[in-house]
Amino acid sequence: MTGNMNKLKRFRPGQNIIILFALVLLVGVFTGLNPNFVDRYNIVSMAQSLAPYAIMSLGVTFVIATGGIDLSIGTVCIAAAVVAGKLYTSGLVPLWATVPVMIGIGILFGFINGLLVAKLKLPSFIATLGTMMFSRGLSALIVADPNIFFPTGTWYNKVFSNYNGIPTGILWVVGFTLICSYIMYKNRTGRYILSIGSNEEATRLSGINTDRYKLYAYILAGMGSGIAAIFWSASFTTVAAATGNGMELDAIAGVYIGGTSAAGGVASVTGSVIGAALLVVIRSGLNFVLARFDLSLNSTYVTYVLTGIIVVAAVLADVLKSRRRRK
Amino acid sequence: MNDVILKMEGIEKSFSGVHALKSVDFELRRGEVHALMGENGAGKSTLMKVLCGIHQPDGGRIVLFGKEVSFRNIAQAQAAGISVIHQELNMMNHLSVAQNIYIGREPAKGIMIDDRKMIRDAKGLFDRIGVNIDPRVRLGELTVGKQQMVEIAKAVSRDCRLLVLDEPTAALTQTEVEELFKIMTDLKQRGIGMIYISHRMDEIERISDRVTVMRDGEYAGTVNTSDTTKDEIVRMMVGRVIYAGHKTESTVAKDAPAVLEVQGLNCGSEVKDVSFKLRQGEILGFSGLMGAGRTEVARAVYGADPRDSGTIKINGKEVEINSPEQAVKNGICYLSEDRKQYGLLLDKSVAENSALASLETFTRMGWINDKSIEGQAEKTNAALRTKTPSVEQLVKNLSGGNQQKVIVARWLIKNSDIFIFDEPTRGIDIGAKSEMYSLMEELVTEGKSIIMISSELSEIQRLCDRVIVMCEGRITAELDCADATQEEIMRYATMRESMKG
Repeated sequence: MTGNMNKLKRFRPGQNIIILFALVLLVGVFTGLNPNFVDRYNIVSMAQSLAPYAIMSLGVTFVIATGGIDLSIGTVCIAAAVVAGKLYTSGLVPLWATVPVMIGIGILFGFINGLLVAKLKLPSFIATLGTMMFSRGLSALIVADPNIFFPTGTWYNKVFSNYNGIPTGILWVVGFTLICSYIMYKNRTGRYILSIGSNEEATRLSGINTDRYKLYAYILAGMGSGIAAIFWSASFTTVAAATGNGMELDAIAGVYIGGTSAAGGVASVTGSVIGAALLVVIRSGLNFVLARFDLSLNSTYVTYVLTGIIVVAAVLADVLKSRRRRK
Repeated sequence: MNDVILKMEGIEKSFSGVHALKSVDFELRRGEVHALMGENGAGKSTLMKVLCGIHQPDGGRIVLFGKEVSFRNIAQAQAAGISVIHQELNMMNHLSVAQNIYIGREPAKGIMIDDRKMIRDAKGLFDRIGVNIDPRVRLGELTVGKQQMVEIAKAVSRDCRLLVLDEPTAALTQTEVEELFKIMTDLKQRGIGMIYISHRMDEIERISDRVTVMRDGEYAGTVNTSDTTKDEIVRMMVGRVIYAGHKTESTVAKDAPAVLEVQGLNCGSEVKDVSFKLRQGEILGFSGLMGAGRTEVARAVYGADPRDSGTIKINGKEVEINSPEQAVKNGICYLSEDRKQYGLLLDKSVAENSALASLETFTRMGWINDKSIEGQAEKTNAALRTKTPSVEQLVKNLSGGNQQKVIVARWLIKNSDIFIFDEPTRGIDIGAKSEMYSLMEELVTEGKSIIMISSELSEIQRLCDRVIVMCEGRITAELDCADATQEEIMRYATMRESMKG
């Protein structure tokens, strides 16, 4: 019952420092095992692939803060890229127009999820499982021949991915983190989202339109997917319907590692970005380690094994900590 | 007849620094009904939880049927012959009566459950204790009173020799109480010892042999029911005089306008044709038994539950209230009896909880000003004398009475005009109770108006200018404070539709 521990904690800087430390430690370990890991090109490449994941994590943090989940973020991101890419390659829209198209598609799916969960009271897991399958199928139907190619070396790639070796995506991520922090901690939308995660019925009985703010949370997650699609297509340029399967799980894992409570009510916006970065570092670092030691293991699968352990450990640590606090 | 089956001596129990039981003694004889009395929070429930193994005592000893025991859990206590009938029944509404009785020990024929035998056994059991219930119906279809009898039958079938009844009559009608007493008399003759927890003095006088009183976690004494008086027991319970007695004259101004007018409110089978007026500066009491529909009326007026029909007027103007959001905009607020579930964000601070309903007033150009939230929360909570180290404290660390004040602070900050208090003093200690009473009196002198739902008659009598009594979803009486005697209220509270007129 000592003061400090029970102080107002909408976010937990402590948790951020722990995972930031874990991030630095991992970078150190990977560098020690293979110095090429901190090669300039690899850093830029990691930064490039971080942007879509981090932005998805940022968006879905709002849904998780309400105590819900959005499984559709990965496939919606791909669907947005596929639809916009198809419109562009068919010559129907200019390149710049793909940006609002992708964001629009993300918002549309977020809106659908929000309606299903907030108005029609479906469990979020089931509602977004449905939209996840729906959007995945939709992408596959649209891309008749397997791949869609976004241009390379244009302003689009420079602005959203890499400007002469500067990973511009990272700058955007910093900007979005600031915006999301504002929405979560300094705007009523975020306050109410956190209140809903803490006790939805009590929030509703306090005269707050909880359905509306839940809807907002899903729209923010959907918008995150749409924006992530911009950075995905600018960095990877080739989009197939099957790319990014399981992306949502990486993004969601990043959120949990970052210290947002799966039960809702407590969220760390910055933590979500650091969590996403941690996973990108692991994925890339393992590649280098496996290459260095000539191990014939598939780095993707090793990454999954390691990520699984880290997610469980991070959440377990949080559970144990709050249990001790309760005593 | 005089053999002691249970002896608890010097029982001690503390919870994170709160001394809940201080060297408590208790004794029960074979075939005895022993009443356990005390105000809410006196430690009755804790003592019973220690007895049946839910809590382990920090000190003292328990001797049951001549053997010292210490139960680690409720199953061990059950195996030793102790059964508890809780205030809230813990049974499966979707299963049949027989399935509920024999759950966990169903008679089997090979690998199949023998339903026929189960039903036969249940019938035999009901015959023995004189209950008339069909064991095949689903439990949920029975009245609360009948469900309670099923639970007693279940205890008897388990060969229980010590039965704890925790406020068994709180939700019963007069006829059901009579039936319960008949069964209890029968169980007495079989030598079963019963611990009877209740606040109802007349019942205690009728059914119990001895009374043990607890006060603030301490043993206050044991007396033979036949040698004592109500006043004596009340004196033991309270230890000091805290109730200011009745309000005999309304303090509402003669020309006070009606701030809230409800006309023809209906919600399913729970609220039937309810109409009433609340005047400015008035405390309007809603009395009745559990399940009479009082909370449902409040929730419907507040827009928390949908209503089938009915109009609501605020200050004489008809308003649309279909959600709490609209109710709050019209100056109504609702403070639920279940603060933890319907009121508080437990893992958030006092400041955040206080400001939850009025964040817009602390927002400038889209930015929430936390400094001004904390300032306002400090001011309002200081005025309410909320005991908290700071407004940054999480509300889950506050006591029940102080949690209640934080919710009051929320609505004061919102500047609500009509306060609906649903069981405002449930689960808070005596000191906090009288503070809550003065708080409500202050609110009405400031021109606020209050609807108070309460099951404690003394509270209704002390505070209310007018009392509405409900039974089975209907208003059965509207009494002025002078006429609101306990007998009168209870008469209307049990006036069922069939008995009317």
